[in-house]
Formats: sequence, C-alpha cells, structure tokens
Amino acid sequence: MWLNVFGVGSICIVISSILMGITVFAKSQDKKLGNVWGFFCIAVTLFGIGTFMVSIIPASSYSNALFWWQVAYQGAIFSVVFFSHYVINYLKLDKKIFIRSIYFMAFVFSFFNWYKNSEYLIGNMYFVFGQFYCPDWIKYKNPIWLVMYITFFIFLLGYTFWLLLRSYLSSPSADRNQLKYFMLGSVFGWVGAHADFLICFRVPLYPFLHFCVAFYTIIFTYAIVRYQLMAIEVIVRKTLVFAGLLASVFAMLILPTLILQEYIFRSAGAGGKIVGFVISGIIIILTMHRIESFLINVTDKYLFQKKYDYKALLRTFTNEVLTVLELDKLVNLTVDKLSDIIKLNSAAVLLFNEEEQQFEVAAQRNVKDPDVKLIRPDGIVTFMEATQGYLLVKELIARKISIPAAIREIIDKLSAELVIPMVMHEKLIGILSLGKKKSDEDYSEDDLDILLPLARTLAIAISNAQLFDELGKTQADAAQKDKMAVIGTLSAGINHEICNPLGIARGQCEAFLLNLKDGLYKSKTNEELLTKAREIMAKVIHETDRATAITKKLSQFAKPSKGDLEWVNVEKEVDDVLGLVGYELKLEKIEFEKHISTTLPQIFVDRKQLQEVLFNLVRNAGQAIGEKGKVIITAKEERNKVIIDIKDTGSGIPPDKVKELFNPFFTTKEPGKGTGLGLFIVSRVVERNGGRIYLKETKVGEGTTFTLEFPVASKSEVTQAEKS
Amino acid sequence: MTQTKPRIVAIDDEAEFIQMLQEYFEPRGYELHVAVRGARGIELVKEKKPDVLLMDLKMPGIDGDEVWKLLQSMSPPPKVIFVTAYDDGGKTKARLLKMGAYACLDKPISSLKDLEGLINKAFTS
Repeated sequence: MWLNVFGVGSICIVISSILMGITVFAKSQDKKLGNVWGFFCIAVTLFGIGTFMVSIIPASSYSNALFWWQVAYQGAIFSVVFFSHYVINYLKLDKKIFIRSIYFMAFVFSFFNWYKNSEYLIGNMYFVFGQFYCPDWIKYKNPIWLVMYITFFIFLLGYTFWLLLRSYLSSPSADRNQLKYFMLGSVFGWVGAHADFLICFRVPLYPFLHFCVAFYTIIFTYAIVRYQLMAIEVIVRKTLVFAGLLASVFAMLILPTLILQEYIFRSAGAGGKIVGFVISGIIIILTMHRIESFLINVTDKYLFQKKYDYKALLRTFTNEVLTVLELDKLVNLTVDKLSDIIKLNSAAVLLFNEEEQQFEVAAQRNVKDPDVKLIRPDGIVTFMEATQGYLLVKELIARKISIPAAIREIIDKLSAELVIPMVMHEKLIGILSLGKKKSDEDYSEDDLDILLPLARTLAIAISNAQLFDELGKTQADAAQKDKMAVIGTLSAGINHEICNPLGIARGQCEAFLLNLKDGLYKSKTNEELLTKAREIMAKVIHETDRATAITKKLSQFAKPSKGDLEWVNVEKEVDDVLGLVGYELKLEKIEFEKHISTTLPQIFVDRKQLQEVLFNLVRNAGQAIGEKGKVIITAKEERNKVIIDIKDTGSGIPPDKVKELFNPFFTTKEPGKGTGLGLFIVSRVVERNGGRIYLKETKVGEGTTFTLEFPVASKSEVTQAEKS
Repeated sequence: MTQTKPRIVAIDDEAEFIQMLQEYFEPRGYELHVAVRGARGIELVKEKKPDVLLMDLKMPGIDGDEVWKLLQSMSPPPKVIFVTAYDDGGKTKARLLKMGAYACLDKPISSLKDLEGLINKAFTS
C-alpha cells in the first residue's frame, strides 16, 4: 500500500473542497445560493475520498476498490448536478423543471451506481499503471455508464458553460470579473475531472490532471478575495497570507528533502536520517532569507497592490494637493491625481455655485457631459444632503435598489461609478464623482475607507481655498478703494493741471468780451477783431484739450481692473503712470529718471494692477522726498525675471519700521494722510500677478529702493492663460 | 497820489495766462510788467517797484512764496495777490495770508473784473 500521485491528487481534492465548503457555508451572504455550492463541495469531497481510497487499494482487493469507486461516482454524479444548479441560480435563470429533472436523473444514475454491485454503471474494472483499479468501458460496455457520461459530463456541463458564457458576454461589466474567474476555475476543475475518464476508455494517460480538480479552488479563492465571488467578503490580513505562503513554500522545500531521506538515507539507518536532516537544515537556512524577501515583495506588489497605491494616494494628497490654496488648481489637481493613482476612467469635482444655486463641474477628466448641472430636486443632491453618504452604483444594483431615471441620467453624464459628498460643517459644499477603474475592479471596502475621509479632508481644503479666493476679492476691493484715496491725494497736482488751462480759456474769452463792451476795440477794424477772436478761440481749444487729456488719464486709471492677464510693456506703463503722478512730482520739484532696457521682455500680468502698483510706489517715493529730489525707475532682465527698482532720494525708513512695512494698516504718515493699506495691498496685488516685492535698501536721510520682480512669461504659460 | 491806477507786476509760469492779463489790463491804462520765472520777477519788482504784485505759487525754479520772502525786505513791499491753481485744502492759503499776503485767488479766477477790483482795492488800502 503505497501513496501514489493519483492518491496525492485525491488528498488535495479532499482538503481544498472541505476548506472551500466550510468557507462558503460560513461566509456566504446569500445562504440559499451558498448552500448549493456547499453541497457541490461535499460532492467533490466525496469524489476525492473515493478516488483516494481507490488509489491505495491493491490489486488483490477488487471488491473494496469497487465500493470506493461507487463512492467516488456518487460524488461525481452529484457534483455535476449541484454545479449546474448553482450556475442556474447564480445567473438567476428560471429553470425549475430543468433542475428537477437533472436531480431526478442523478437519482436514477445513483440507483444504478449501487444496484447489483454497479453492474450497469461501473461494470468491471481493470488494474492500471500497476497502481489502482479503474472502470474499463472498452472491454465491458455498460449502457448506463455511457448515458451518464454523455448526458452529465458532456451535455449538462457543456450546457452550463454555455449559460455562463452567454451571461458573461451580455452582463454589465460590474459582474464580469466574478463570472470570468468563476468560469476559469470551473473549466480548470472539470478538465481535471474529465481526464480521469480517459483511462476508462483505455487511453494510457496517467491522471495527472486529477490535481486540477483540487486547484480550481485556488482560482476561486483569488476571485473571492479580489472580487467577492459568491458575495463572500473575506478580510485577508497581510501577515496571514504571508505566513501561509511562507509555510507552503517551506513545505515544498522540505518535501523533497524528506523524500531524499526516505529513499537515499533510509538504508543508512539513524545516522543517515541525521544526515538528511542536516541537508534539509542547510537548504532551509540558505534559502530562507531570500524566500522571505521574495514573498514580501510578491505579497506587497500583487496581492496588496491596492494598499500600495493608497500610500501613494495619501502621500500625494497631503503633500501636493491639500495644501494648494488656489481653488482652480486644487480641484484640477484632485481630479488628476485621483485619476492617475487609482487609475480611473473618469473623475470630476462638482462645486456649489451660490449664484445659480446649483452644483457645477469645477474640474473633470473624461466626463461624458461636463456641462451637467445638479440642482436640489435632482435627487443626488437631496440624497447627499440628507444622508451625507456616498452612492456606489454597483452596490445599488447588487441590492436591487432601482435608480430613478433622473439620477441615472446624471450618473451617466458624469460617467460616475462612485459619488461621494464633500461635507464641511454639515453643509454639502461639493461632490466628488469617480468613474470606473481602468482595471474594471470594483470599489472595495478598503477603497471607501480611504476615499471617504479623503473627501472630508478635501472639503476642508476646498472651503479654505474658497475663503482665500474671497479674501483675494476683498483685497481687490480694498486696492480699488486705496486707489481712489490715492487720487484724492493727487488732487493738488491734478487740480493745478486742470484749473490752469480752464483759467486761461475763461480769462481770454472774458477779456475779449469786456474789452468789446468797454469800447476798447473801437479803433480796430472788423477784420482785426475777427483775427483777434480767431486767435482766442484757437487758444481756448488748445487749453480745453489740455484739461481733457488729464481727465481722460484720470478716469482710465480709476477704472477697476477686469482681472484679465495680458502682455504688458513695462516702459509704457511707467510712462502712463508718470502721466498722472508726474504733475505732482513737478509741483514738488521732484525730478524723474527712467532707465529701462530696450530689450526688456514683456511680462504677463493684469495691466491695471501693474499700474496701481507702480503708481503707489512712485507716489510713495514722491511723498518720502517731500520737496526737491529724484525718483529713479530702473528695469532690467535678470535670471529670467524682470526686475524693476523704484529708488527715491527721500527720507528713508527708520530701521525699527522696516519690519512692519508690509503689514496692513502700517503707516508713518500723519493721521488722515494715509490709510496704511498702501504697501500691504501692493504686495498682495504683486503676488497675485505672480511677482514679488521687497525693500532693496533704505537709509535714513538718503533714500529708499523698492524692487519688483516678475517672471518672464513663457509662451506656453501665456497660451494656457489666454485659453482659460 | 499822482497815479490813479496802480503799477502791476505779474509773475506766472503760464505764458498764456500772462498774455491774457496784458490783454485786459493794458488797454485799461494799467502799467503791467510781466515775468514767467521767479528770479526774473524779483529783478522786475526791484526795478519797477510795483504797487501790486500778482503772483503764481508753484513755478519752475523759485516758487511764489519764496519770491515773496525774498521781497519782504523791500520798503514798502508791494501788495501781493497770489493767483494759483494749487489747492492743498486751504493750508498754503492760510499760511500765505498769515505771512501778510493781501489775497489768495484760485485759478480759474471767477472774473477779470473782480480781479481788477481787488487790485484797485489793494492799491488804495
């Protein structure tokens, strides 16, 4: 009585089927369906036990072998029926009569299996490969056996596979993975079972494929862990899997050494056994470390790949995404990083538009209809607001919850599979819509464990960015107010420039009229008077033009910025600003110098805002001087930056005040002369335009230099900005 | 008082303004001397010894108020009427009046007739 390969295969079948059956009975959520599969496992176990016993029964015990073949056949007959029954139920097909009839046939075959020592089913056996008995159909043609073989193992199995294939081809992709692995595993198993029949037809092939019957469970286990096959959810701990793998690898390693001991050193007695152990020990010690690191690698990379990705996801979001304060950039990064890391087909972030009172797509990738708008009665919004819970399409389908057409339409437009609310202080501020994974894998509990908190954190980041955005707008308002205040302080210079021409125009006209009235032109001819009048009118036109020019400049400057970025020539803006502030400087006898390189590249900024900045800085320079001095503007390109220095020969800034310069409300001016928003606002405006401002140098009594830096816009940046 | 009409010196950097004054005052028998810069104006005042000085405040070179400071030592100093478009909320005006300026007028002046009246008033006072 020796253990042969056929017997080892049978042991594997018994063990794997028992484990599989226990798992399914214990874990299956759909008890009724799970039980059918559990019975299938019992049938296969029975087959395994039968064939194992057959494999160890020697040629001398014919009747014993026959009995165990009867047991094996009993298992085999019912395994086919349970398998078909399970598939029909799993596919939710209505075939009650069909199922009843195959059970009926199974009982008929079972009857013949035991009737008259299986005379009509197994018939007679022959001893094969010098190892075990096997039914011999070629020599003893048993009609029932052939009918059983053809109806069950060819037609019934073929029909069942056809049902599976048809369902696989027409099913929504959510279930395809489950079906795919179910089919793969089943084919594997049944091919192995069929191989056992070959020797019955005297095909001299040793039933090595017997192992396949055992190993289909491996494929099923994988599908259960990965795709919740048979609605079984197994939480697999990494350490458990790792330990299991390690143990099985060691088993494989130890097995040959044990065989070596048995065959080679057995004759050497106890001493030989020790040598065998030593060899085993050496092999284990030498290979253990490598096997261990190899397994760690494999489990991490393949089995726990998802968690591998989560680490990257969390790292990317905490380091790169959640810290972004620009709303637009934040939502786009969110969509890009989520799509890239989880490998999504599509993704979108929807934000609430206060004005329109609806959710709109703020950033998206591969969404079917990016113009989709979600208003409250749309259902999704109401659902999210009420439950603050997510919506997983596959889960709804699985729970047979019918999705209203309106929601279905929105899900379709968003190409969504998973919709997660972004909630901040109980308020739904946005919606995160994720499409299917490229791998076609379903979203798992693990995915949700990561994505739900991520959405909550995103809500905080988005709401921060929104506040920052609003702050920017408030600052723009403040800048505008500041500008108007500046214009107020300019009135001396501007008044001078407007009232002078008006005074001249008025005086010229009045003098002519009064002279005429007082008879002072009596000696003059009409011709002479006309010439005089012509001269005066020309002067009046000239002077009114002069006054108009400055009011035009003033009103242009006072207009608020539209917020559009454009190519800006620094020299032209300096000139424009001087056109206004220049009168003031002139009145105070402040000279102005300008050194701007002719090759200075243009910068890409908000033109109005640049004017504001220059205006403030030149005016500050003028005020620092008071009377008589010089303001020098220098602009040059350095290290791909445009650098503008505004230097004055004014009073300078005392060292203790330097630190506070850019603080809001800081001022050295007497009360009423400045609001103090000047440099604070200037610095924010500069930053918004991608630039930087700093105090280059200052010395009390000698003057101050402020420096502005703006990046030289690259072509691609410009086209991108222009597009948006 | 042999003269019935005051002798006037006008200093203003706006040539058109000066020309307009000439246009009005000369036909009416006033002796009017003009300068467009403070420095030349000082010479002119010292030379012509006018009764009334019409002067702009903000000018290239020497400003009106400085011109006047330099003329304070004259005896008798001319009556000064400042005519200016410079407006700093009345502060400079108050300062000039405190310093003894006869009047401060804003440009544009409301009427040449009023200016003439003011000059005569300053002359007779």
